Amino acid sequence: MNTIFKITFREWKRIFSLPAHYWVLIVIPPLLFFLYAYIYEKQKAEKLPVAIFDEDHSAISRQLIFLMEQTESIHFTTTVNSYKELQTNMREGKIMAAVYFPQGLERNIKSRNPATVGFYTNASFMVTAKLMYKDAANVLIAGGLGVVLQKLEKKGMPADKAMALIQPIKLITYPLYNPQFNYQEYLVPGLITVAMQMIIILIGVLLLNYEWKTNTIHELMLIANGSASNIIIGKLIAHLAIAWLNFILIAGIIFPIFEIGNSEGMFSFFVLYTLLAIACLGVGFLLSSIFADVMLCTDIAIFYTSPAFVFSGYTFPRWAMPWYDQYYAQIMPYAPFLDAFIKVNNMQLPLRYAQPEMLKLLCFIIITYPLAIIFFQKKCNQLYRTA
Amino acid sequence: MSFLSNIWNITKRETAMIAKDHSLLLTLLIAPIVYAFFYGSIYINKEETEVKLAVIDADHSSLSRLLAEQLNNTQTIDVISAASVEDAQELMNDGYCQGYLYLEKGMEKKVLSLHQSKALLALNVGRFLPSSDILSAVTEVSLTVSAGVRLQYFQKNGMTEAIAMRETMPVSLDYRPLYNERSSYGAFLLPGLLMLILQQTLLIGLACSFAGEREKNTLPELLQLSNHHYSLAVWGKGFFYFILFGCYAFFFLNVNFTILHLPNRGNEWQLTLLLMLFICCLISFGTWLGSLFSTQLIAAQIMTFTTYPIFLITGYVWPFDSLPPAIQWLSALLPTTPFLKVYLSIVQQGGSLTENAPAILHLIILWFLYSALATLRIQRLSKKLSYV
Repeated sequence: MNTIFKITFREWKRIFSLPAHYWVLIVIPPLLFFLYAYIYEKQKAEKLPVAIFDEDHSAISRQLIFLMEQTESIHFTTTVNSYKELQTNMREGKIMAAVYFPQGLERNIKSRNPATVGFYTNASFMVTAKLMYKDAANVLIAGGLGVVLQKLEKKGMPADKAMALIQPIKLITYPLYNPQFNYQEYLVPGLITVAMQMIIILIGVLLLNYEWKTNTIHELMLIANGSASNIIIGKLIAHLAIAWLNFILIAGIIFPIFEIGNSEGMFSFFVLYTLLAIACLGVGFLLSSIFADVMLCTDIAIFYTSPAFVFSGYTFPRWAMPWYDQYYAQIMPYAPFLDAFIKVNNMQLPLRYAQPEMLKLLCFIIITYPLAIIFFQKKCNQLYRTA
Repeated sequence: MSFLSNIWNITKRETAMIAKDHSLLLTLLIAPIVYAFFYGSIYINKEETEVKLAVIDADHSSLSRLLAEQLNNTQTIDVISAASVEDAQELMNDGYCQGYLYLEKGMEKKVLSLHQSKALLALNVGRFLPSSDILSAVTEVSLTVSAGVRLQYFQKNGMTEAIAMRETMPVSLDYRPLYNERSSYGAFLLPGLLMLILQQTLLIGLACSFAGEREKNTLPELLQLSNHHYSLAVWGKGFFYFILFGCYAFFFLNVNFTILHLPNRGNEWQLTLLLMLFICCLISFGTWLGSLFSTQLIAAQIMTFTTYPIFLITGYVWPFDSLPPAIQWLSALLPTTPFLKVYLSIVQQGGSLTENAPAILHLIILWFLYSALATLRIQRLSKKLSYV
């Protein structure tokens, strides 16, 4: 036990003295996490620039413009007089969308002829295009149905019957777990936790082989009595403690400052985070025990961890990916972590719902640590023989 | 002549140095191609389909069955049935479905007797894309079914089909998502993602190479080859990257774009000019960044963490104007920001360089700025070396 604690203390000293360790473990996390949270400070994309292309110049088009301006995402900034001008403005980035009222719109509506209102978005920016379409569609559909409602009421139909005919099936939507569609609430926890996976694995791959680079392997072996398991357990405790420090930074500082998440699911988050940290350290130990070359090992870690966010299915679901990418996602601890994290953090479910994902994380731990110990013990024995 | 031969000698030296360094070989020769195919394959289907939605049909009528059937017929939704709201909630808790729709008992009866019926849609907004796709599809289907009910009512009241159709929906919305007609996630993300791969592999590779010069004490040799013309050292080294990443850009725009069915709507010569300018800007930016690190390992570690933040603050995935002012300033200092603006305008929207003159000017200013910073930094390092 004493041996393990000696290794743990020694590792803490290394963390705070070696630039390759403290830059990644101590300096980067606060800067990166604060930046992620700050990027989405506005939480929603609001008042996006939209053009008016009004050929009708009628009371109805003015009314619809007024109603659209009241929505969250639409803000009319300019008028255009042709489709060409509309496209030029869009290509120059001056507008993100445009509403088009064709000539004779009001006349057509009043004379029961078909009338169409056009809404153009720059869909190469999909996020904003979808937001603006949603708001414009709500106004224009409601406006169109309002016209029918007025006609029915004029014909003497009671208001409730007319309403029932306008909207026979009223769709009531409950957007659960993030009702405001708040981007900060949605993206920041995912970005921060994926960064934590990268941080832990990038340092994890240096935990054993970097001892050769710093010419400290003999000293370490002496402290550990030549036992690979002592070294790995001692270093694991040291790095788990640092991971917990970063947990305090995330859950105790960043989340409260930016009002992200909730304190109720904090214990479940902590359990999952700890499992993720141990699993990532296991992957790091395994790679570090196999590859002696520090740079090669770092390159492998970068290649392995950097696509984690896109493969996790957070922004684009895994079921929409080809089967081989779905399998690749499963060899990263972040994929099961994220599924569980969404359940306990976003949906605030009890930890038992995350059992399948926790089991997957445990599989990483069960596989990587024994293998790392075996490989590293072999190297230690070789070192003893040559010494 | 001596200028050109110096550049050529430094480029040859850089090529030999990279050939001996397996880490740089991996970053510069293998990573760009593997990443481009690897990341690209994720979005090869472009959009998600068959998102699971649980339907609790308490009415068991022909109307409720029609509604469920219509939902199942959409490309987006795969309907699964649930016996009760509790069951549906449990399915959602287990991650098996992304939402549920409750169709109340007596729905058809209410609709036929001109009483409004309610359908309750619960969505898991823990993930944005599936919930927003389900919402769009369910709204569209419920509006269509509602329009069908109105149509039948008007026809029963003696209107001809044509008039009844007009009365059903007097104002229709003609939605045109320009430059990404299917509003697919893949078509939106892939063009930018490919350029991000190009940029990050160049920046990481070049930064590691320069940091390696400091770590291995080979900087004096580089300065000697450049006759102590610091900008010559930057561009001699940079020429290798210019050629290599110019080839990658050509490859991505032709091979990857074709495989992923991405259109290029702009003028190819203008795009080539833009990419040349961008790569030049990245070379000076990467050299300056690399000169700040003393070891290759730290350069690789820190540069890795720049990928996501750079992508998030360029205005590509989140509107530039919605970023906090300090982040907007930071974003304006990155070559990626003006580049992506012009690149998207050309590739996606068929725009031209002249239409994006301010962004081009922005990119040129950044090129000069980072060239000056890189040159000054090398000069400073050279002075330090001479003191030693």
